[in-house]
Amino acid sequence: MSGVVDVSVRVPKTLTLAQKLYLPQVLAGMRVTIRHFLRNIFAIRRLPTILYPEQKRDYSGRFRGKHILKTREDGSLKCVACYMCQQACPAECITIVAGEHPKIAYEKYPVVFDIDMLRCVFCGFCVDACPKDAIWMTRNYELAFFSRREAIFGIDKLIEKPGIPVKDGYGYRPYYPGDGTVPPTDAATAPVIPGDGERSDLRGRLPVFRPPTPNLAVKG
Amino acid sequence: MSAVATPSLSAPAERLRNSLSSSRFSEKVEVRDLDLPTMEVAPADWPALAGWLRDDPNCRYDLFLDLAGVDNLKRAGRKTRFEAVVHLHSLPRNEHARVKVLLPDGAPPSLPTVREIWPAADWFEREAYDLYGFAFPGHPNLRRILCHDAFVGHALRKDYAPGQRWFAAEEDMKMPAWSQETDTRAGHFETQTLSIGPSHPATHGIIHLIARMDGERIARAETQIGYLHRCFEKMSETHTWNGVIPYTDRLNYVSAMINGVGYVRAVEKMLGIEIPERGVLVRTILSEFSRIMDHCVNLGANLVDIGALTNFWYLYQPRENIYGLIEACCGARLTVSYVRVGGLAIDVPDDFVPRCRALLESIPKFLDDVDRLVTNNRIVRNRLQGTGVVTKEDAVAWGLTGPMLRASGVPYDVRRAHPYGFYDRFDWDVPVSSEGDNFARYLVRMEEMRQSLSIIRQALEIFPEKGPVNSNDWHVVLPPKDAVYHDMESLIYHFKLIMEGIKVPRGERYEWIEGANGELGFYAISEGGGGPYRLKVRPPCFPMMAAFEKIIVGGTISDAIATLGTLNVIAGELDR
Repeated sequence: MSGVVDVSVRVPKTLTLAQKLYLPQVLAGMRVTIRHFLRNIFAIRRLPTILYPEQKRDYSGRFRGKHILKTREDGSLKCVACYMCQQACPAECITIVAGEHPKIAYEKYPVVFDIDMLRCVFCGFCVDACPKDAIWMTRNYELAFFSRREAIFGIDKLIEKPGIPVKDGYGYRPYYPGDGTVPPTDAATAPVIPGDGERSDLRGRLPVFRPPTPNLAVKG
Repeated sequence: MSAVATPSLSAPAERLRNSLSSSRFSEKVEVRDLDLPTMEVAPADWPALAGWLRDDPNCRYDLFLDLAGVDNLKRAGRKTRFEAVVHLHSLPRNEHARVKVLLPDGAPPSLPTVREIWPAADWFEREAYDLYGFAFPGHPNLRRILCHDAFVGHALRKDYAPGQRWFAAEEDMKMPAWSQETDTRAGHFETQTLSIGPSHPATHGIIHLIARMDGERIARAETQIGYLHRCFEKMSETHTWNGVIPYTDRLNYVSAMINGVGYVRAVEKMLGIEIPERGVLVRTILSEFSRIMDHCVNLGANLVDIGALTNFWYLYQPRENIYGLIEACCGARLTVSYVRVGGLAIDVPDDFVPRCRALLESIPKFLDDVDRLVTNNRIVRNRLQGTGVVTKEDAVAWGLTGPMLRASGVPYDVRRAHPYGFYDRFDWDVPVSSEGDNFARYLVRMEEMRQSLSIIRQALEIFPEKGPVNSNDWHVVLPPKDAVYHDMESLIYHFKLIMEGIKVPRGERYEWIEGANGELGFYAISEGGGGPYRLKVRPPCFPMMAAFEKIIVGGTISDAIATLGTLNVIAGELDR
């Protein structure tokens, strides 16, 4: 083959007499396994296994678990029923029915916001799609149901209830490239989104707009 | 063929046209210069052209990669409704090429089989028959392969109504005719047909092996697949370009990251966008970690099958730790959905580099333990050495790629032959073995894991501490969230991208990368909409599984199980 360099040829070494005699190799193998056994006995706290459900795996602040619908300060849903998450969902598991909010400033709100947890693939596309910071994910992955109907979570199961801590904490949430290019890993350090109507001076910080590149790569 | 040569032909296409013009096909084949040199041919000339492409010293397309059916029903400006698109690779010349067999309208689509020229075509032709209804006169076993036998219609045709449901009862499941025959040879001791699977612990997935046993030895075998078929290709036609990404995770779910990278590379090439260095390096590093995981799972499960249980745990622990890193990056361990067209979903966490370095420290210890237990162990050697032998010629003819091909002595690695993701910047070896048996594949995979660690180490050296991971083209990448919340223009871009998807220009592209078990290719066709018109995966384990029934003939059932393990067949990718 032309142009290939740095090929390392793996040839199995011929076994020595001791290796052919089974027993020395068996003992050598025993040495490895006994070393692991002793290490596990004496460092039982550092075992790679965990005793679920008493002990839980520590997931990162990006874990994509059950969704949560964020609320405004007055307890109303931030969601404006724009259908973007429903459109972005590759599993088609979100169902939204929009209604007119009595409060004029809020305009629209979801009368129905259902997520079918049996269809959901937990990809986080809904979080990426939301333009209102209204849907986040949590670290709650313990979703078991007795019936299929139960698996369809409505607003009552998804809404973040004020004063009640979120089960297992927040997980995947909108991506704020900001300056650090890293999203906050802890809810306490999440940047405060300025309230509606308040305009922050973002224009200077935005990426430079680039017109679409003429496509040279594909012809025909 | 047009008399005037277009001056803009690329060098490979020009060379192909020159060799074609001096051959007997000069009038019959039209060469076009797309992303790959593309030949268009009528079905009647196809077998002769195929033989010429394989044997002509200026072509030598010896590796049959893929056969994709295309239905042009809703595509404007095409000569015929059906096309069979074949992708080939030339090992001596290190070049890909594409052949489009245009199937004339007005007759049922049909083209002659080329399985005599490239045995690898066998299953790909069955797949095109199953999903598009192409007939292949001369094919001895043209049966459905991915859909079940009670299925009516051809699922990937554009006029197939996807809502239809077909149920297969037990009596609909067809067994190959030879398995029902009785051996009437005089003085014959004992033959019986043995059915292994579909659900058997050693198949690690759902695969049905039907073997005719002549005493202890396998006299004939056939594998039936498709039990995990989830219509990935049909689904992708109804999703946006980004919406396909979660589905790619479920192809080879043992190394999900690599599939996503392969897929978005095809789309990015069609868009003609570049990804910042940091984004590419994150993809490369996590792909290499995924490759290590894939080999860990493969070797661990294979060694369990032949009775070496301990290694399973020693190999699963590094995998567990790598999953921890991947989860910290993207929020899921197995189904990562991390890449996006134009970059990544989210930048890596602050402690990415130290975490990678910690993994680089810990993984070799586990590999050393397995090395000590297995490599010079005579019991393992007796089981693996000399079993499941694939010669160099067979490996190429059967279309094998990846560790299987390299264990048979062909140093074809896409990362070296067609460098992407900065693999050309790193100093690493392609492990090759000439034995071609199960033990050679074990050795190649063990060494590949160490080479992957070396690649990751070098990638971390040049990893920029800060910087963007995404392209800044807002026609492709979602604008930053704080801009979306407060800036009307950003919100409009965001809205257009979510509601309509990325507008990929019309065209087609075949992009291929080195998956954990071979060449993973994505052939995408765009009609300018927000999603793919057609997306074909070239799954590396499909030809391997096709070769399996040939490799195991003459061996015992226990050898067959050991061989199945070293093939590294992932049912999610095999059945799509």
